[in-house]
Amino acid sequence: MPVTESPPIAIQAHGLRKSFRVKKQAVEAVSGLDLIVAAGQIFGFLGPNGAGKTTTLRILTTLLPADAGTAFVAGADVVRSPQQVRSRIGYVGQLGGADGSATGVENLLLQARLYGMTAAAAAGRAKELIELFDLGAFAGRVVRTYSGGQRRRLEVALGILHHPQVLFLDEPSTGLDPQNRANLWDQIRQLRDDGTTVFLTTHYLDEADQLSDRLAIVDHGRVIAEGTPAQLKQRYSGDTIVLTPTGPPDSLPPLERELAGIPFVRSTRIQDGSIRLAVTDATPSMAAVFGALADRGIGISAASLAQPSLDDVFLHETGRSLRDAGAPGGGPATDRQAGEQVPA
Amino acid sequence: MTFALQSGLFFRRKLLETLRQPVWIITGLSTPLLYLALFEPLLRSVAGSPSLPAGHVLDVFVPGILALVAFGAGMGAGWVVIWELDSGVIERLRVTPASRFALLLGTVLRDVAMFVLPGIVVIGIAVGFGFDAHWAGLALMFVLLALFAAACSATSSALGIQLKQIGSLAAVVTGVQLPLTLLSGILLPLSLGPDWLRVLGHLNPMYYTVQAARDLAAGTVTATAVGTGFLVTGAAAALAMWWGTRSYQRAMT
Repeated sequence: MPVTESPPIAIQAHGLRKSFRVKKQAVEAVSGLDLIVAAGQIFGFLGPNGAGKTTTLRILTTLLPADAGTAFVAGADVVRSPQQVRSRIGYVGQLGGADGSATGVENLLLQARLYGMTAAAAAGRAKELIELFDLGAFAGRVVRTYSGGQRRRLEVALGILHHPQVLFLDEPSTGLDPQNRANLWDQIRQLRDDGTTVFLTTHYLDEADQLSDRLAIVDHGRVIAEGTPAQLKQRYSGDTIVLTPTGPPDSLPPLERELAGIPFVRSTRIQDGSIRLAVTDATPSMAAVFGALADRGIGISAASLAQPSLDDVFLHETGRSLRDAGAPGGGPATDRQAGEQVPA
Repeated sequence: MTFALQSGLFFRRKLLETLRQPVWIITGLSTPLLYLALFEPLLRSVAGSPSLPAGHVLDVFVPGILALVAFGAGMGAGWVVIWELDSGVIERLRVTPASRFALLLGTVLRDVAMFVLPGIVVIGIAVGFGFDAHWAGLALMFVLLALFAAACSATSSALGIQLKQIGSLAAVVTGVQLPLTLLSGILLPLSLGPDWLRVLGHLNPMYYTVQAARDLAAGTVTATAVGTGFLVTGAAAALAMWWGTRSYQRAMT
């Protein structure tokens, strides 16, 4: 196994495969997935519902045996040394996992004892986490009575209780309101800053974009693109300048041809009475484009910079939009919430 | 040591869960008492055959009721397991290094407790009504029926994990409950029935449990049926626990 000295590797998977039988038909949820995640970063795993995200996560967390392939997590083999992996990772599943019939404190104490802490150490750690996640007002109540946000805070606290090297989060912000979502993001960043590797699956474009240090885009059970959010967007789409000239519509095609010759402009397109220029780097190309327009005395009624999104990357790789992908029936039943709308 | 500690922790968790839902404790107690109050008078009026001698109806009937309590206490486990699968509790616990057998055992021990406590109450009340108590035999009978409750509990957990749906579990449990209990001679001794019914009864593991329980309650500790009963019930419990642990190892929503 190739291991580089720096940075250390938190997750390494090679050739992972897993298929399920759905209505007597084998459906491959993960098909030859390779992955390397360096330690100490937030790694996003972005893809539509049914792309194999949850299945991959379950293989990496020892919940599900792969049909083929190898995976090392936090330095241990998930197949040969599952107990070692378990003691080094934390996991917050899509379903949550807090025990509804126990109180928050009881949930924390049990979890701590299961990781081998003494009763005294468990009590101390529970107290710390209650403070850190601001659970004090309700920690003594039975979890069933919690709001969605309160419950999620407890569940993240359960996931990081034993200071795991790698924390797995499966669709962590599903069902949270914007306030709770922002808090969760802050907590995840804090964990990363404290040295924890965070591996999170999401089908939210903005979550993958804003939260991840690096990310992999998955579709049909394999990684189709991997890099930092900025790299990915740059590599596949760059920035887009949208210009609306004051002239008549038939003046657009010749103008488009002229603008296509400017350095930095990669491609041009006319859409809805505007010219869209895909450029490699917005700042120098804006100057070049406006300079060219001024030289020719062409008036502009509107100009804007369209931010490239990860959806452009997905579109480029798969020919379809992430917003439309993963429609009901698009994947095996192992990924929950199939058919859920992907917000912009 | 870790295993014993984890089993204790899971047992405590399950006990707290039960104490928070007193409705289970109430029905756990009221069902056997209703049998005593409503069914025993019926039996009394049909008694008089060699297998159900008049004047000893309670002696035959009480072990049967206790077997029913054990069955009921164990078979409830699967419902909670499905709920725990759906809320991700089992998934979370499976990512910890906790022993899967300990996880199963926590529920099994709670269910055994939920048989023993109402069982003692039932004996106390039955003695008041004229039940002839042989204490050494009764103590052994509680051990036997505790094993039986454990077998039911582990089976129910395994079924819950395999079936994943409350509806399917309910169909299976209610489907097997009637033939299993009738063919064990819990309510009426099978010796009252025709030959073919007795042959069917011998295919039912629960039959041996109930036969042994009757002998133990009557104080004939050395009866062959007692040995057979412990053997069959013990084997069923071991098999069920193996199945339950295996199911926990692979539990998936």
